[in-house]
Amino acid sequence: MEIKRVGIIGAGTMGAGIAQVCLQSGYQVFLCDANQQVLDKAKGSITARLQKLNQEDTLSNLNLITQIVDLASCHVVIEAVPERLELKRAIFQELAQVCSDDSLLLSNTSSISITEIAAGIPHPERILGFHFFNPAPVMPLVEVIVGYQSGQEEAEQALQFAAKLGKKPVKVKDSPGFIVNRVARPYYNEALRIVGDGIASVEQIDRIMTGAGGFKMGPFALQDLIGIDINFATTQSVYQGFFQESRFKPSRLQERMVQAGTLGKKTGGGFYEYTN
Amino acid sequence: MSTPIKVLVEGVGPQGDAWKGMLQEKGFLVQSIEEAGDGLDVQFALEVTNSDLTIKRQRVQKLDQMLPTGIPLLVTTLAVTATEVASWTRHPQRVCGFGTFLPLEEGNLIEIAPALQTDPSILAQAATFFSALGKETEVVEDEVGLVFPRILSLIINEAIFALIERVAEPEDIDQGMKLGTNYPFGPLRWADRVGLDEVYSVIDGLHREMKEERYRPAPLLRKMVLAGWLGEGVGRGFYTYEIEKEGNYAKQS
Ligand SMILES: NC(=O)c1ccc[n+]([C@@H]2O[C@H](COP(=O)([O-])OP(=O)(O)OC[C@H]3O[C@@H](n4cnc5c(N)ncnc54)[C@H](O)[C@@H]3O)[C@@H](O)[C@H]2O)c1
Repeated sequence: MEIKRVGIIGAGTMGAGIAQVCLQSGYQVFLCDANQQVLDKAKGSITARLQKLNQEDTLSNLNLITQIVDLASCHVVIEAVPERLELKRAIFQELAQVCSDDSLLLSNTSSISITEIAAGIPHPERILGFHFFNPAPVMPLVEVIVGYQSGQEEAEQALQFAAKLGKKPVKVKDSPGFIVNRVARPYYNEALRIVGDGIASVEQIDRIMTGAGGFKMGPFALQDLIGIDINFATTQSVYQGFFQESRFKPSRLQERMVQAGTLGKKTGGGFYEYTN
Repeated sequence: MSTPIKVLVEGVGPQGDAWKGMLQEKGFLVQSIEEAGDGLDVQFALEVTNSDLTIKRQRVQKLDQMLPTGIPLLVTTLAVTATEVASWTRHPQRVCGFGTFLPLEEGNLIEIAPALQTDPSILAQAATFFSALGKETEVVEDEVGLVFPRILSLIINEAIFALIERVAEPEDIDQGMKLGTNYPFGPLRWADRVGLDEVYSVIDGLHREMKEERYRPAPLLRKMVLAGWLGEGVGRGFYTYEIEKEGNYAKQS
């Protein structure tokens, strides 16, 4: 199967970015969202970014649609709707009926088990995780998640497709947090523990990790940038995924900050104060 | 030119030679216990063993016996607290902890951790000493592994658990972390640079000190240390390295 037409469901932050990446790589793109206003907004932002790159000619390959049934002719579909299992499962059920049996059905989920999304859906071998990082047009990594029932051949196709998109894919077995969100946990979690135990301050730890360790940003400045609520939710999801393995235990300090609504840069304050 | 500061450096493992080299390069006069003989007139003594605490204890006690009481005894605290090291000596007030990971020339900051017993004047001398090496310093509370070695070791430990579980190949784990989070090195490649024995001594030290499951060392890490696959320095770790010239290895795969 030669991949020519790519469908994307969900035209939010990730879906719009992924659509841009696919356009830039020369694919016919079918961008689907339940909400027409979101589609129009996505088209606007994609247009602006492609104009900056002098690639607006690829816009003729962008098709905006509101019905999943209009994705029937796509060779690959990437799902990027909000992070709710039941919503994603319903979409994959519908996709499985609409799309051909040899299409690749991919989910951009950042924390839900791809095995659970695919369970009970006809031809689960074609369902894989395809985890982009935000912003999708800039970040080079895609984690290709191989679920319990995903096919090895299909996994190879997904890896090749990611490479065609100009990305650097890594192959990952379905497990909580995949690679990146899992292995990065101690950077935040242990830093929080060290503060909680009174060993060093937030500012000191950031200075030490950049000065002694060569990290580009300290763990607290980085949490402020990501959003402390987002970071906390990721930790909780990995912690639950590992049946409460103590290595991943969330921090009470972080929980208090989420409760207080001091979530980082986006609220003007988190571990640091921001004025603009 | 003023007379060079004399420093006694003791330590088995990768940090001994590294500290000697660094100090010599910066114009310090470096001696070992044997060279110093009886006429010990050094201004500072460093003990930088991390992987073997029995040896560390012997060396620290020997230094404590030999050195005049006012000479600062600066000890690495990657695997043990400064407070515990101080408790091995008859002059605990002169002991002060510090530490970082190799290679020493890369980081521009050294962490200093005074023991509960450390005299404030010794702490001040320690800070002056590391500043003279051109390093910034941060004084943190005394706990095994300080801040940077502790956090990096636990990232490496998690990468090894993922490897044990066959979640991904070593190259994919490293590529994922470099591209997904902007780390300067992938964690497995980083472990090879630092030395697996050093990483293991931090995690095992935290596990022994805290008695928490959270700090359980990945079994493969321990096995690789036992097998002598300590990383770049010996030509084999998570990757293999070709010997370029004596003591110098290039990454092969
Ligand atoms: N934002 C990130 O940093 C990031 C990074 C990696 C992965 N992800 C994952 O990507 C997915 C999407 O995240 P996002 O941040 O783009 O969310 P978002 O809220 O910005 O966008 C989701 C879009 O899906 C649309 N939608 C909802 N239900 C739909 C339906 N039934 N049919 C069609 N469209 C529907 C919504 O209208 C919305 O436009 C999530 O699974 C998330 O975990 C997000």
